[in-house]
Amino acid sequence: MLQWRLRAPLLTRAGAAGVTMARAGLKKLVMPPDYSGIVIPEKPKLKFLERAPAVPKVRREPRRLRDIRGPSREATDFTQGQFGILALGGGYLRWGHLEMLRLTIGRAMDPRSTFAIWRVPAPTKPVTRKSLGHRMGGGKGPIDHYVTPVKSGRLVVELGGRCEFQEVAPFLLRAARKLPFPAVPISRAGLERMRREEEERRVGNENPWTFERMVRANMLGMRRYLSPCDLHWHGRYWGKFFLRHRV
Amino acid sequence: MAAMPSAAGLTRALPAGCPPALQLVRRGSKAVTRHWKAMHFQRQKLMAVTEYVAPRPAVPPRCRPPDTGPRPLPREAFRDNRMIAVCQYNAMAGDDVVLLRHYLRRHNIEVKFFLNEIVRPVLAQSKYRNLLPLFVARNLLLVSREAKAKEMLRVLKGVPQVNLLGACIDDTILSRQGVENFAKLPSLEVVQGQAVGALSLLPSQTSSLLQCSSAHLTALLDQHIRRLQEGEGGAPVQPSPEPTGAH
Repeated sequence: MLQWRLRAPLLTRAGAAGVTMARAGLKKLVMPPDYSGIVIPEKPKLKFLERAPAVPKVRREPRRLRDIRGPSREATDFTQGQFGILALGGGYLRWGHLEMLRLTIGRAMDPRSTFAIWRVPAPTKPVTRKSLGHRMGGGKGPIDHYVTPVKSGRLVVELGGRCEFQEVAPFLLRAARKLPFPAVPISRAGLERMRREEEERRVGNENPWTFERMVRANMLGMRRYLSPCDLHWHGRYWGKFFLRHRV
Repeated sequence: MAAMPSAAGLTRALPAGCPPALQLVRRGSKAVTRHWKAMHFQRQKLMAVTEYVAPRPAVPPRCRPPDTGPRPLPREAFRDNRMIAVCQYNAMAGDDVVLLRHYLRRHNIEVKFFLNEIVRPVLAQSKYRNLLPLFVARNLLLVSREAKAKEMLRVLKGVPQVNLLGACIDDTILSRQGVENFAKLPSLEVVQGQAVGALSLLPSQTSSLLQCSSAHLTALLDQHIRRLQEGEGGAPVQPSPEPTGAH
């Protein structure tokens, strides 16, 4: 309720005469967010991850690309933090990517009021490379570097503390763009909203012919051209890519 | 056990999870590639058929009756309200318009804005055709079910951009001066009290009127007696009793 009376004219903008007057109004005070339950750990910045495991692997491992394919089963939800980087595709994270994340986030965040934790382990999967310029054959190459496999839907880093998403999103986006797979900064609410929208799309789809229905019933003999994994991925995953627009 | 050579056995469906009998990938890449692997044409067709179709309303918007922009509000505005004031409206800032509307709303006065092209035909056919000359250039209509002219004038005095041109209060067309005079009138309760007082003035005088003549005669006689007593000097004579009852 405005308490003051109309004494002065309402000419608050520069009207026809070019006269401006100050006016009083009511300030709407927004309650500040409640950060009472948040504890900043001892070492708030991302800890250093080793380039290779302490005991280097002797046995060279097969490529096993299925650790990139499909949706992630681990680290899909937030644990301690409120914000994070969500992977929207599969890929391998090398030590360089991890260092980039560690340094960018460490440089941009305030260690007194925010903390960050890793949601991916240090690289343990060995990747071999043959020396350049040689012909095929001669056995498998030696181990070149180690990587961490990441599937779609996995959180890479988590951020928390006395901060808002708008403060944190710019540098998280800068870091996310440099990752080898599509990634976006996300908050708890954003993740929830994403899942809700996906569910709404799935439920509100007006198309009577869905991928799931056609594959389950093997309509038109489609399973001849599809993988058994498409039964439970419903056409949303193709290789390491996550098709977000598919329902 | 030996497989029975029957038509049913030949067309036995593959159990789930079993790779297709015909490995279609004879050349090219693995399932997970860095690049976007080209889909089999049948799969492309399946993806095209099973695309998401957004829900849409049962009745398409083009089949709905067209929403006539300005509905016949002027007719209702003129019919339902006791006071209709026409003001000239010069350009005002949006906030100030909102404030003006707020202040007038507090006195149950609504601010209506109609285009002249719409109001003129409505007025020409109604009994307010004498208000037609006022609807030239940008104008504002202040309508109210109660005739609160004083409050309206007070609010408008503080707004130099809105000038009162004329008003129609209780089917009476008033000019600006007329509205000011109307505002100076006392309120209805006061006027009613005055009328009641004026009307009850005569009945209140009835009894005194009726007793007037006899009271006058009594007073004259008293005066006469007092003069006679003063003339005689001294003999106290009791004053004659006042004649009771009406003569």
